[in-house]
Amino acid sequence: MILALLASAHADDVVLWHAWRGDERTALEQVVATWNGAHPDQQVRPVFVSYESLASKLEAAVPRGNGPDLFIFAHEKIAAWTADGIVLPVSEPSDARLHPVTLGALRLTDDPRLWGWPLAYKSLALFHNRALVPEPPATTDALLDVARGQRGADRWGFAWEASSAYAVAPWLHGYGGGVFGPDGVALDTPANVDALRFVETLARLGPAEPSGALLTQLFNEGRVAMIANGPWFLGEVSDTVDYGVAPLPVVSATGRPAAPYVTVETLFLARDDADARAFGAWMVTDGAASVRLDVGRQLVANADLPVTDPALAAFRAQLDAAVPMPTRREMGKTWEPVARALRRLVRGSVGPEAAAREAQTEYAIVSRPPPAPADPRPWWVLGAVAALAGVAWLAREVRGAPIAAWRFAYAWVAPSFIAMTLLVVLPFLVGAGVSLFEYHDQAWTFVGLANFLDIVLARDFPLSSPLSFWSTLLVTVLWTLANVVLHVGIGVALAMLLREPWVRMRGVFRALLILPWAIPSYITALVWKGMFHRQFGAINGLLEAVGLAPISWFAQWSTAFAANVTTNTWLGFPFMMVVTLGALQAIPRDLEEAAEIDGATGWQRFRNVTLPLLKPALLPAVILGSVWTFNMFNVIYLVSGGEPDGSTDILISQAYRWAFTRGHRYGYAAAYAVLIFGVLVVYGQAANRLAGKKVL
Amino acid sequence: MATLAFDGVEKRYGQVQVLHRVDLAVADGEFIVLVGPSGCGKSTLLRCIAGLEEITGGELRIDGRRVNDVAPRDRDVAMVFQSYALYPHMTVRENMGFALSLQKHPETKSRVDAAAEMLGLATLLDRYPRELSGGQRQRVAMGRAIVRRPKVFLFDEPLSNLDASLRNQVRVELRRQHAELRTTTVYVTHDQVEAMTLADRIVVLNGGVVQQVGTPSELFFEPSNRFVAGFIGSPGMNFLERLDDDIIGVRPNDVRFGPDEPFAAEVELVEQLGYEAMVHLRLGGETLIARVEGTVAPGAGRVGFARAYRFDRATGARLPDRPLSPRGA
Repeated sequence: MILALLASAHADDVVLWHAWRGDERTALEQVVATWNGAHPDQQVRPVFVSYESLASKLEAAVPRGNGPDLFIFAHEKIAAWTADGIVLPVSEPSDARLHPVTLGALRLTDDPRLWGWPLAYKSLALFHNRALVPEPPATTDALLDVARGQRGADRWGFAWEASSAYAVAPWLHGYGGGVFGPDGVALDTPANVDALRFVETLARLGPAEPSGALLTQLFNEGRVAMIANGPWFLGEVSDTVDYGVAPLPVVSATGRPAAPYVTVETLFLARDDADARAFGAWMVTDGAASVRLDVGRQLVANADLPVTDPALAAFRAQLDAAVPMPTRREMGKTWEPVARALRRLVRGSVGPEAAAREAQTEYAIVSRPPPAPADPRPWWVLGAVAALAGVAWLAREVRGAPIAAWRFAYAWVAPSFIAMTLLVVLPFLVGAGVSLFEYHDQAWTFVGLANFLDIVLARDFPLSSPLSFWSTLLVTVLWTLANVVLHVGIGVALAMLLREPWVRMRGVFRALLILPWAIPSYITALVWKGMFHRQFGAINGLLEAVGLAPISWFAQWSTAFAANVTTNTWLGFPFMMVVTLGALQAIPRDLEEAAEIDGATGWQRFRNVTLPLLKPALLPAVILGSVWTFNMFNVIYLVSGGEPDGSTDILISQAYRWAFTRGHRYGYAAAYAVLIFGVLVVYGQAANRLAGKKVL
Repeated sequence: MATLAFDGVEKRYGQVQVLHRVDLAVADGEFIVLVGPSGCGKSTLLRCIAGLEEITGGELRIDGRRVNDVAPRDRDVAMVFQSYALYPHMTVRENMGFALSLQKHPETKSRVDAAAEMLGLATLLDRYPRELSGGQRQRVAMGRAIVRRPKVFLFDEPLSNLDASLRNQVRVELRRQHAELRTTTVYVTHDQVEAMTLADRIVVLNGGVVQQVGTPSELFFEPSNRFVAGFIGSPGMNFLERLDDDIIGVRPNDVRFGPDEPFAAEVELVEQLGYEAMVHLRLGGETLIARVEGTVAPGAGRVGFARAYRFDRATGARLPDRPLSPRGA
């Protein structure tokens, strides 16, 4: 679609890609209209691209010359983008004074050039409910006092996303630490340990498992007096709350301000074009910025522009004590190790020292340089032999086949053949190929079977570690087993019950019981996740109602596993029930009557007659169901999220984490996928033998 | 050793009454056949004995014990289903031994072997039902009942899925077995020939009401109403409505031919069957079928009746015999 837009575009137009919505988009269009009115020969045309796909479209289009002249994006990726030539340097803006932190974010170390025009910035700051906390605390000691003083049975003084590396960064910086030391990533420094000790204390004083949505709700209900949040929260605060915004407090122990990360919304230059440069320089003038400030309510980078809105002014003040989001490539690999360590710390399973140490160790594993490149020649030979064998086999199969006589049949089969090849065979081959490579710092290295050896020999983790392949495999098998037993048990039991003559409103029940299946699984998973919340979940509410102690469902393996299994059982039993209901229809009623007369009890009748007759229909369903469960990513990812510590992760979610949250180790993740495939092939063979026929 | 007693047994499904006050006493070792057209309630009555249907009124006793609320498995009855209801996933041996193996009965094997021997199934014990012919399956179903040595055998149209020659053969076999085992048996069929050949006593049902209970010859010679008279005997009784004030019933073999007979009749059609012939006559505008030994030539003549039954026009009830008072002839 974009290509079509480009094709129809006026060749001289300056094209600007952006992902702004709402007021920001209105402001942008207004500013562009002003420019276009004044510069008829230098027309700018904004094109909206959804945020989710903007980065990948840019990375695909710009190097091929199909990209825009300008685009707006956060500054974090400039290290990669400058290296790949996706963005070009721009001259220093001379018409406006821009905040030095925003300019600093757009420079690389040891390189004076500026890589874009800073438009706006976003960081955390302190929101306080004036009714509860009239004056925001200036120091962390004062913050702790409020957190302690305001704490009640279901109310808290301060809350923030304590397990998020982003939300904890202000304290790391305030204690003099941070993700990077002089020699690269340094997570286990004494300063960071001090910061984590403070984080531990502060988190204990706040609500359990605070997610973004929960914080919004609690603050709006007046149950949390203060939260740390960003400017996006301004749109979510309820009108009924009289709130103020202030910079985060100064760390009492060091006297340094807590410094959040700041991300800078930047106008990047993608094509060297004089008109684009002119427009870019004009975009950061105070005149254009004032529209973005007034109409778009943006935190603009222009330092001289007066900010009258007190909330925006507070964010402006916070900018003086903010650290630009690091742009170094290592940064991407620190998020998960830090988040995992934080979760352990907040949960209380490790102390601050151990958390810092484990974060550093896990970072070392995910960022490990690739193994020595392997010699690809034997693989070429192997690949060639395999390809030849394939061709030979195909030739043998085809030889003598009356292709001409069956031309139409082949024509009918062709579309699905092509679709299967494109959608199944090809991705599989590519995935299998990727598993022989290691991806590191934007570069692919051929490593042969090194990924597989690392995984299977558990080189990085002890066997018992939740991150080792074998313990994950064990969890996956347990997970599959528990689910299939419950799905079949409940499904068959309900189907038998629905057949009983005394059950009234059978149709209604049948429809109700199929409902869990009809609802998208991720919605169900999120609902269950909410129900398992320690403080606000319905399940603990029920436990408390009957006088039992609430359970921290995701704090230990057994309960987190049980939560996952419960959710997936809810999702899975209707399928088995439907299969059973269908199969029951095919069982003549008089067989059961014969057994009844033969003296069989209800259970004996079921065990000796009904169940064996259900078997032919149930067995394929069970085998299919177990394959689905084996790879049931949604529930694991959304309910327990692998908590605690990835111990409830199954192979597929583990593979996902290696690919997308642990430093983009695509080769390693692909090797996981190939191993999963192998396990399922073995299972399929065993299942076929068990069923006595071909099921899979 | 078991008797069966029905005491005003009723069965209704909601508003629909399918059995009306059935009273019947079955003696020990008796072979009772329930017969009637489809929908007459005979299968329902059988299922009430088995316990598969609940009785909604009256009382049913097996061996003097009231079983209205006793579960099927505690009634000690065995049933052969019309479909045989063999367990498809079990071998012949497992099918036949199923009831005993549930009780872990020590004689399971020997009894199955004995029954198989008796039924000629000894070589088929390891086969599955799907590998058997219809007649073999039928015998397995019988064997499954026999092995249990129950108080009562129940048969629900067990021969209806067999072809004609096999049906005759099995019928004889059934009778022979009953003579040997002397187990009280209740047998449901819609085929009056089966009923006549098998039964000690026949119960004729129509519309959920017992029409008559009696030995085959009682039913044949002394039907208590027009329904029984028409149902029992093949070909059925002729009913002549214009001949008399009442309805006159004449069995085809009671039609006599001769110049001195009272009624003039025309021969419409003759069905030659070899041993006998069916002569279709017109008598006073009505059809009359006569059964005649040997072969006959079509023609006209005069007919009379060796025996004529008399039925009430309104109720169909049997009336005392008295000479005909012909209206027109």
